[in-house]
Amino acid sequence: MKLPSGRLVHSRVVDDPGSALAAALDRELTGYAVLEPQETLLLAADARGVLTFSEGVPVLAYHTETDRGGPPALADLAVPGPYRLELVALSDAVLTDLHDTPALRVPPGMPAERLAGDHDLAARTRASAPDDRVRESPGGDADSDEPAQESAVEAFLEDEGKIEAIREQAREEARERASEWGLDDVCE
Amino acid sequence: MVEAFAVASGKGGTGKTTSTLALGMALAEEYDVTVIDADTGMANLLFHAGLSSVDTTLHDVLVEGGAPVEDAVYDRFGMSVVPCGTSLAGFEAAEPERLRDVVATLAVDTDVILLDSPATLGSKSAVLPIVLADRVVVVLQPTIPALSDGLKVQEYAHSYGTETAGTIFNKVTDPDDVQSVAEKSRRYFDGPTLATVPDSDAAREARRAGKPLLAYAPAAEAAEAYRGAARDLDVRSGAADDVADRFRSAVIPEPR
Ligand SMILES: Nc1ncnc2c1ncn2[C@@H]1O[C@H](COP(=O)(O)OP(=O)(O)OP(=O)(O)O)[C@@H](O)[C@H]1O
Ligand SMILES: [Mg+2]
Repeated sequence: MKLPSGRLVHSRVVDDPGSALAAALDRELTGYAVLEPQETLLLAADARGVLTFSEGVPVLAYHTETDRGGPPALADLAVPGPYRLELVALSDAVLTDLHDTPALRVPPGMPAERLAGDHDLAARTRASAPDDRVRESPGGDADSDEPAQESAVEAFLEDEGKIEAIREQAREEARERASEWGLDDVCE
Repeated sequence: MVEAFAVASGKGGTGKTTSTLALGMALAEEYDVTVIDADTGMANLLFHAGLSSVDTTLHDVLVEGGAPVEDAVYDRFGMSVVPCGTSLAGFEAAEPERLRDVVATLAVDTDVILLDSPATLGSKSAVLPIVLADRVVVVLQPTIPALSDGLKVQEYAHSYGTETAGTIFNKVTDPDDVQSVAEKSRRYFDGPTLATVPDSDAAREARRAGKPLLAYAPAAEAAEAYRGAARDLDVRSGAADDVADRFRSAVIPEPR
């Protein structure tokens, strides 16, 4: 996915992807968000998730490392934070071209459900979506019969490499912090 | 004999406090149970247990020359409940290390201690419940962020010599789908899936009514799920005489 350059409107470090979605929704972003995990232990250094938005509502999802789009990209994107978040505004015309990629599309509420597990944010997002998008089905990269949130969760749980990365990172962090906090002797 | 469990999730709002009180009440059928609000920065167990207007809380105990622990223990719902205050000043004045002594003192006279734990792993006071506990009950939701935070909690716990007692899937909206998620997550989490608790209006109403779920709606499906969790939790007894020492020196875990 080649990203057109636009106007950077927001750049900061966020703890979870939910904040990125909420930031895009609150400012009714038309453009895209790039999420770059900060602690990329065992993950490729250039792993990034990209979501496009039309007036704050997610349209496409894509992951640079796995080259997957649509709902599978959301599963790829779900790694522990923090992330560097950049929101980039684009003109409608540029975005309309980009959005003509059915395989990458995600239904409006799906990113909030799957990345943040946040039903309220998903409901707010669906409420802001145009009527014809509310019942949109996921893009072509998805299994056609993969409607449930749980299937993304299951895909996540089947990704042993990613889970090991999360665990390894947590162990590392636990050890480092133990010495910061004077708990050295607790460590096994 | 005593075993201390941290009820933890690493993520906010998963239902740690709800689960702590529900498990506590269910375990109280068989054991002498003490529940401690160890979420000293964002305490809210007191609101779940109708204790929001009490005088003495854990905050008053966790200071130099503070109140004796006994003053912050309330007999409620068949358990001993130690609530924590909600003021920022109280949190700032509290010395987290003193939680060790609190647990050590209470351990002398109870069978099971449940530590309601904070939604973060970002500070010493936040991880202390996990450090002090013998085992952790990980509260999960069937979502990617909740699972990934649950994995982190478990790794922290294991790094600090605390085992996993089991997991609870809370706020489950689709009971069929959660089965396969629970199945797959068993590869990564130690211990049994103690319960899958449905998303339940009764749980929300109980919180509003200031009562634990098992007191407010004992017949609710969610309440029954927690009773099942209590049945599946194999409480282990510690060595009776050195219990207090164990917690006082909890920095050095016992050989297991
Ligand atoms: N099974 C359930 N079904 C529906 N609502 C629930 C359920 N369990 C908990 N809740 C509700 O979710 C909210 C958060 O629950 P709770 O306070 O127990 O979570 P917590 O993990 O302790 O939160 P925190 O991280 O803020 O300490 C409460 O309003 C509670 O009533
Ligand atoms: Mg709580």
